Amino acid sequence: MNIQKTMSLMEKLTILSAAAKYDVACTSSGVDRKGNGKGMGNTIAPGICHAFSSDGRCVSLLKILFTNECIFQCAYCQNNCSNDVPRASFTPEEICTLTMEFYRRNYIEGLFLSSGILVSPNYTMELIYHTLYKLRHEHQFHGYIHVKAIPGADPLLIRQTGYLADRMSINLELPTSAGLHSLAPNKSRRTILKPMRQIQNGIAENKDELAVYQKAPHFVPAGQSTQMIIGATPEHDYEIMRVTESLYQKFGLKRVFYSAFVNVNQNEKLPMLPGGPPLLREHRLYQADWLLRYYHFSVSELLSEDRPDFNLNLDPKCDWALRHLDLFPVEINRASYQTLLRVPGIGYKSAGRIVKARRMNRLDFSDLKKMGVVLKRALYFITCSGHMMYRTKLEENYIFENLMRDRTQIPVGLRNSSYQQLTIWDV
Amino acid sequence: MYVFLCENSIEGIFTGVYDAWASRYGHRNIRLSLDTPDTYELFCEYIQVTPDLEKSRRIGRAICSSFGYEVYQDICQAIMAAGKEKKKALDKADCVYRTILLGFAMHDGHRVLTALGEPYVARVFELARTTNLEAHHLMGFLRFRELENGVLFSAIHPKNDVLPILGEHFTDRLPQEHFMIYDATHKTAAVHKAGSPFFIADVTDLNEALIQNVSAEELEYRRLWCAFFESIAIKARQNPKLQSQNIPKRFWQDTVELC
Repeated sequence: MNIQKTMSLMEKLTILSAAAKYDVACTSSGVDRKGNGKGMGNTIAPGICHAFSSDGRCVSLLKILFTNECIFQCAYCQNNCSNDVPRASFTPEEICTLTMEFYRRNYIEGLFLSSGILVSPNYTMELIYHTLYKLRHEHQFHGYIHVKAIPGADPLLIRQTGYLADRMSINLELPTSAGLHSLAPNKSRRTILKPMRQIQNGIAENKDELAVYQKAPHFVPAGQSTQMIIGATPEHDYEIMRVTESLYQKFGLKRVFYSAFVNVNQNEKLPMLPGGPPLLREHRLYQADWLLRYYHFSVSELLSEDRPDFNLNLDPKCDWALRHLDLFPVEINRASYQTLLRVPGIGYKSAGRIVKARRMNRLDFSDLKKMGVVLKRALYFITCSGHMMYRTKLEENYIFENLMRDRTQIPVGLRNSSYQQLTIWDV
Repeated sequence: MYVFLCENSIEGIFTGVYDAWASRYGHRNIRLSLDTPDTYELFCEYIQVTPDLEKSRRIGRAICSSFGYEVYQDICQAIMAAGKEKKKALDKADCVYRTILLGFAMHDGHRVLTALGEPYVARVFELARTTNLEAHHLMGFLRFRELENGVLFSAIHPKNDVLPILGEHFTDRLPQEHFMIYDATHKTAAVHKAGSPFFIADVTDLNEALIQNVSAEELEYRRLWCAFFESIAIKARQNPKLQSQNIPKRFWQDTVELC
């Protein structure tokens, strides 16, 4: 017998936001849209973070599930149908009211709507579509909307939803299809990649339409993203990064997110992780992800079959530089932009500033500091007008030891363990 | 050496630039300064600058047409910065003056702010970035409360004068709302009436009773927001240090969820 008391909005919000919290993406970036003077809302390209929760993650969107009543049985997910957790569903009207009232008070930047699979993928996708339609057309909401495409839903529904949303995403969940098959029996690589390809093609077509007619409706203007769970299955970083690289190149994704696995279900198929979620590994993957997107690196340069995992002691760029000391030191006043990008301690912004500023003046270390270069990492790899900052040796062991001497450069997780310099040679 | 003492505002500094230029004492013999010095230097003539709207407009127009709107915006934002974090830092007014001089001397004035090898340009760039960063922070961290008469009210305590940037942002975002953002540090407020542009007013006496008088639903939405904020955090990833790194403590007092 199903006894259902009517739930208050408060209870629903608590249940359905807690159910959505393992979705990582909470960005509101990628699209610049001015307000139209009548409705409510605009978006700005860099996105805005409105709050930071106690785990330090940004809260920019009202991140909720439409419902956590799910017919699927994914082992890693707390909403799977065999779990005994309180279940709830919003109505489209409730979501609209919450979004509008929170947005007015500047609590949020927009809505992130995902959902468990209620009845069938099509049924769920239709509910999501109706909610977004109401929000955009009845409530005149012009802020940011990030919506999940439900794998297995009708392409027409996904297309229609794409015209209402700013960003769409379909979670890849696990890096390999074998992993997906064992942990999420109701999902398959095919049903995930098909809508992803559809959205990619839709965005490309829309670009042509917009070139012809400026006022054509925008289809997923902020692009699509996806997410992978890290540490639930035994894949190495190399495999994960290879998947990421091909997603960027072949599917034109804007972002790939990584989610350190948290064992919420105590399922025996999954690892126990007594030391907590693999946060440092997740951090290194994000750093490498940035190297792919902004720094012209390729995965084959960072990792290989023989070295399938990132060095936890050093960030991937520093690690790369230490293995390629023959390319250093580089002369700040002469090196190309691409070369500067590869120097540890120089980001893409400061590299751009250096290239522009050196047209006018010869740059010195004090100038670099003002431009935002992290000299304590960069000093081993650069010269200004032929001089290094201090007398240093260009030796792998020497630089590594000196980098590790500064306690703040060691990741918090490793700071108290016996790292004792030798580690890089042990592995 | 001639020292022009300017008022700390866009109008004041631009008028100073105008007067210094028009004085024909030679750029090498001129310095701009913001406040009256504690000790007067020998062999220096101090000239008090009275802000003049017409003069400052002419400088503004000159910057816009010669260097482009973006540089103009950056220079204005640099002037809006408090710039008091270091005692030995270069004087804001003088840096603006020297930057404008360099821009006119350059072949392509649009690129003046990329000449970061010059210390005064680097200073203007740094100041503009501080203002911009704080404005961007507050676009997110500012919270409105709905008063009983339906007006949205917000109080903030920024270091720099970010109100013009915020006013523009929220006018575009909430065109059909009446709202007011009160800057408690500078005692000014951006006021917006639905469907019209915003304006900035000096506020000397704020009616405390009126702004505490919130509407009926306000408390309910605050409770909902706090509940959402609690439940969205992942316990296994708890990291308060990262939190206060991302949202510095000085912003906490004006938020709903952290104060």
